[in-house]
Amino acid sequence: MKEQIIKFNKHIAAMAVVMLFAVGFLSSSMAMAAVHSFNFTAKTLPNGQLGYATGGSDAEAVIPGPALFVKQGDTIQVTLTNSTAVDVGFNVPGLVNSNSAKATPGQTQNYTLHANKTGTYVYHGDNNGKELLGLFGAIIVDKKNGPIDSFVNGDGSIVPVTQADIDKQFVLFMVGSTFWGTEISADGVQKPLWAAPNLGAVENDLVRFHVLAIGPGHTFHLHAHRWLKTDTATVIDTKLLNDGTDTHSFTIKAGSGVGPGDWQFHCHLIAHMEAGMHGSFRVDAAGSGDGASVVGASPYGNILLGARPSEPGVVTLEVSDEPASWFRSPRGDAIVGLPFDIKSKSLEVMYPGSSVNFVMSDTNGVHTISSLLWPTGAHHMPFDQSAAYRGGGIVKLTTPGLYVFTCKVHPYMFGAVIVDDPETEGLDLGNPAMDYKIDLVTGITGLPTSSDLAVRLLRTFFVATSPSNWQDYSTGIWNLKFPTLPVRISGAPFGNIQDGGLALALSALNVVDAPLAVGAAPEKPGVGEVWVNTQFEKTAGKYKPGTTTVVDTTNWTVKRKVALPEINNNNPHNMWTNRDQSVIYQTQWFDTKLSMINRETGALIKNITVGNTPSHVVTLPSNDDLTIAINGENGVAIIPAGTTSVSKMLPTQAHGHTSANPHGHWVSADGTKIVTPNINTNDIGIYGATGGIHARTPTGNNAPGAHPIAIGMMPDSSKIYAANLLHHSLSVVDGANGALLKTINLIADYNPIDGSFADNDGNGAIAVGVLPIQSPVSPDGKAVVIAATGGQIVIVDTKTDKIVKMLPCDPGCHGANFGAKEGGGYYAYVTTKFGNRLTVVDIDPDNNGDISDAHIAGYVSLVDTPSTAKDDTVSSLPGFGGQGVLAVPNVYNGWVQNLPDVWKSGLTAAQRNPVGH
Amino acid sequence: MSFQINQSSCDMPLSQSAIETTKIPYRSFCARAAAGFVLAMSISFIGADKSYAAEHVIEMTAKDISDDGFGNKLLAYQMLSHKIDGLDVTDRYSNAPTIPGPIIELTEGDKVKLTLLNAIDPAYPVAGASKQVSVHVHGVHYKILSDGTLRVINRKLDEGAGEGPEDTFASYEYEWDVAPGTAGTWPYHDHNYENHNGSEHKGLFGAIIVNPAATPRPQNSYKFSKEYVLYLGDDAFWGVEIDSTTKKQTKHGVNPTLNAPKNTDVRFHLIALGTDLHNFTLNNYKWFDPGTHNLINQVAIGPLEKHVFVIRSKNSTQYVDNNFSNKLLGMKGRFIVD
Repeated sequence: MKEQIIKFNKHIAAMAVVMLFAVGFLSSSMAMAAVHSFNFTAKTLPNGQLGYATGGSDAEAVIPGPALFVKQGDTIQVTLTNSTAVDVGFNVPGLVNSNSAKATPGQTQNYTLHANKTGTYVYHGDNNGKELLGLFGAIIVDKKNGPIDSFVNGDGSIVPVTQADIDKQFVLFMVGSTFWGTEISADGVQKPLWAAPNLGAVENDLVRFHVLAIGPGHTFHLHAHRWLKTDTATVIDTKLLNDGTDTHSFTIKAGSGVGPGDWQFHCHLIAHMEAGMHGSFRVDAAGSGDGASVVGASPYGNILLGARPSEPGVVTLEVSDEPASWFRSPRGDAIVGLPFDIKSKSLEVMYPGSSVNFVMSDTNGVHTISSLLWPTGAHHMPFDQSAAYRGGGIVKLTTPGLYVFTCKVHPYMFGAVIVDDPETEGLDLGNPAMDYKIDLVTGITGLPTSSDLAVRLLRTFFVATSPSNWQDYSTGIWNLKFPTLPVRISGAPFGNIQDGGLALALSALNVVDAPLAVGAAPEKPGVGEVWVNTQFEKTAGKYKPGTTTVVDTTNWTVKRKVALPEINNNNPHNMWTNRDQSVIYQTQWFDTKLSMINRETGALIKNITVGNTPSHVVTLPSNDDLTIAINGENGVAIIPAGTTSVSKMLPTQAHGHTSANPHGHWVSADGTKIVTPNINTNDIGIYGATGGIHARTPTGNNAPGAHPIAIGMMPDSSKIYAANLLHHSLSVVDGANGALLKTINLIADYNPIDGSFADNDGNGAIAVGVLPIQSPVSPDGKAVVIAATGGQIVIVDTKTDKIVKMLPCDPGCHGANFGAKEGGGYYAYVTTKFGNRLTVVDIDPDNNGDISDAHIAGYVSLVDTPSTAKDDTVSSLPGFGGQGVLAVPNVYNGWVQNLPDVWKSGLTAAQRNPVGH
Repeated sequence: MSFQINQSSCDMPLSQSAIETTKIPYRSFCARAAAGFVLAMSISFIGADKSYAAEHVIEMTAKDISDDGFGNKLLAYQMLSHKIDGLDVTDRYSNAPTIPGPIIELTEGDKVKLTLLNAIDPAYPVAGASKQVSVHVHGVHYKILSDGTLRVINRKLDEGAGEGPEDTFASYEYEWDVAPGTAGTWPYHDHNYENHNGSEHKGLFGAIIVNPAATPRPQNSYKFSKEYVLYLGDDAFWGVEIDSTTKKQTKHGVNPTLNAPKNTDVRFHLIALGTDLHNFTLNNYKWFDPGTHNLINQVAIGPLEKHVFVIRSKNSTQYVDNNFSNKLLGMKGRFIVD
């Protein structure tokens, strides 16, 4: 494979093979204040990361950027030429800088800094998160005369050191959850150690560390060594590097008092440790080793189109709030433009022994970086963390095959890496040594990559990560295109396998110019409005995605778009409303905020910090307090009615236990219980509305990774329904005591190997719900409607807890919620992420209580029209990203009774009191 | 109100002796009687006003503890035996597994032999490849075989008790050299359970307090009525109170209510663990930032950092983590002065 594509990038091929360079003037101590001039060039590296180079135009950019060593009082002049495609600056927090402007692509800017204070400073590119891709480096300002540091000797004495005493220095940048290193020899030569290096020294070497951080914070710990808290005599061995930019320099005597060994250094945040943020500081005994460091993974190394195949490489995936680009390769634009289009900016290709690096550089939320599937038998799998966090991750992959990563909190965020065996033709999708099979996080092992399930998962990946594959009903046609690269799989699902196991390219599955029509609107009107979180729709006035689309159910038109550009509204995900239906509460799922919106005008009332990554909001029918599931953390936030700040967070687990990370909760009709699907602990939690854990019920039947994601409840709270996303199942739980009553397998009728459908569960209906998400119960308690992201709507009869019907849905089917149908009964409004229409389901068209005749009553385009009121202009992805959906008036039992008369008057007697009928 | 510890400490020059470690009372001479021959040797070598090396022989174990009634368990260390030069001091510890684990008081110059056992129910499911527990200590000196890590990290051995990925031991002995220059409060924690990151965040953590051997001491050396070790976790403080006279360790658990006699000096030992960064306050009190003359009333602290300070107890108040979510979760406790 590699031979065919290696000839791509001419400017990379021209680069030098080995790069050692010296910068800095280790100026003599008697010199007067010096002026140091540096020519910097900001460049794009082969893997798409950015970096600074010094020297001529051919100089190689390095990460971290060149370290600048100066003396107090010196002047630093930097001439920055920007060879990247983004604006790049040179910002140094803590030092006075003559120029805050950024160089636009192709242009040059000059910066003059006065190093008037000793210390270690971060310089960075100041470009809105892109600096975390490599535009960072260190400036070390030392005292002009005398010792520059002290170390703690093995006998406890504190010994001052001069520059001349120091044997070697390391610059270690903590970025995301990855160490990026540079080694500086005693004579000032700088050698890039790249990502996740292992450091080395000889016992009793004096080694100075410059640990710097940019982005979310860390603590740095080095085993068995201790050093001084800056400018004190206090001995420490762990140091906080706070959020933003922070630095800490210290000197140690290698192995002093402890001897030689492979001493680990690492970030001491648990989630970052789990994400791979560690390395070894190898101290060789004198005479038995040279104390050489081991270079880590290089952006120039052994990846698709890499410059130096002999070196371990690194591909990077930026974690982003941007639709479809949630795990975006920084060279994604270049990759999808290649002749052999791999279609997705979220797919990288590299070779065994290289690493994949993740950095949460374009998101306001917390995430995990978690394996979804990997080649059977692969090392270091599954990759996962025990809690959601800010940072990143790095993992070395040695086994060929396909690795798909997701965020457990936002489980449609997908990023994939193919580790390709360079000796074989075609991209390896599974482990060649294991017949190209894959393992899934849900406990499925040895799944052939030729199976229908594997192909469906691939298809889901290429739909979710490629907006051009989404179903845009406003265009009238649909094209679904897959990569044109040949692949190696276990068998022949979509074409001939040639000798040696080469399959047809995935593009054999392409759909070309299929007609696409919205379909007719429902004949019978609904009551009131339907608010849809069109979470991916982009508007001109903000850079974060998402709007809310308001549908008028009396005429099925888009009445309003609420973008909230004034707060850069970020991925609005779910909603609820207050008793009089005047305020819409809306969570920003990739952020920390809950917005209060005037329902009649669409105007923002208040934007409130509620915690990391809030998902759903529901009021307590008893008192109108807000309950907000803090999906990125470990509780449910409470905002008392009439107030605009969180008063408390109810914990979803006992102290010290794994965070539950609740997602789509529900509240009992009497307002006494909060029920959460706990995605991180795979259980349903029942909590008192004023606190207290009543019950926690595992939903996975002892298999891992069930991922319960949303709750529905019977109107009398007698039963709880929870959709398990990754187990494709629906748990039925006793609402009183949490006892598990039943687990309904939603894929019983599906053969995952050959893709055939049959009534395997004998319930009289052939019905499948792949990757179920929302599962509300109708206000009258008749039906559970399940939106399954695989593209199905499944209806369960609550009398029998059996599936009675499957209806079609668009790709990425996600949200479901009920509203009143005019004249009696209910519509279920179903949203989809990768289509831009609303599906309206009538669960009981003839209103006879038998829901087996449930059908799709009609569809509504979510694309705005000239008559749509709006606070911003839709710029792309019109009407896409349908997730949370809320009908106004809220007609669920418990809430409907609280409606003002003006809303009640539009409802039938049965709708006004759904339990009494 | 603000509180300043005595002025002499403010005047102390910045030197090897950090403020956090300079105000330790001499260890009781009586308690040392059992080790008289060592004492005699020590005196002959280093003089009567200096501390002397003691040998600590410690045996600890790790257990799973059931505490939430929903099938979720935490893990905890338990002290089985602690002898100082043969003198048994085990009764200062809880006789049950606790979170935090035992707080081990040492003095610069001491040697420690710590034997770790593993009493975690073998049937307890392990998420990773390792059923081995370890003790990885911060601050003091030890050779690579006492690092308390897995072989994948240290390239030598799976250094713990129980079944590791590559090596299995019924018990594991760690040797610590509480060398000069290691005075201070340091965490210890597991590094081996489940995987090479260990399970410190599931309860396997404790602390050592290393008193300085440095001389000369201030004439009126500091005496604390109480010491508190407070671990800042991701949703709560895990604390323990130590009576300085009896050395008894009590009140283990979440957000403990701490007690102090009025107008006495008490010492707080903060250590963080988990994933969150914290901002600690003890409302209405100020203290010296260790190693400086700066009075502060809050401190940012991240996982496995330590922060030790002394105050004089004047008024009851609360200690609080001001991290946004932790504060809302009620991560605070009472400090009662009476």
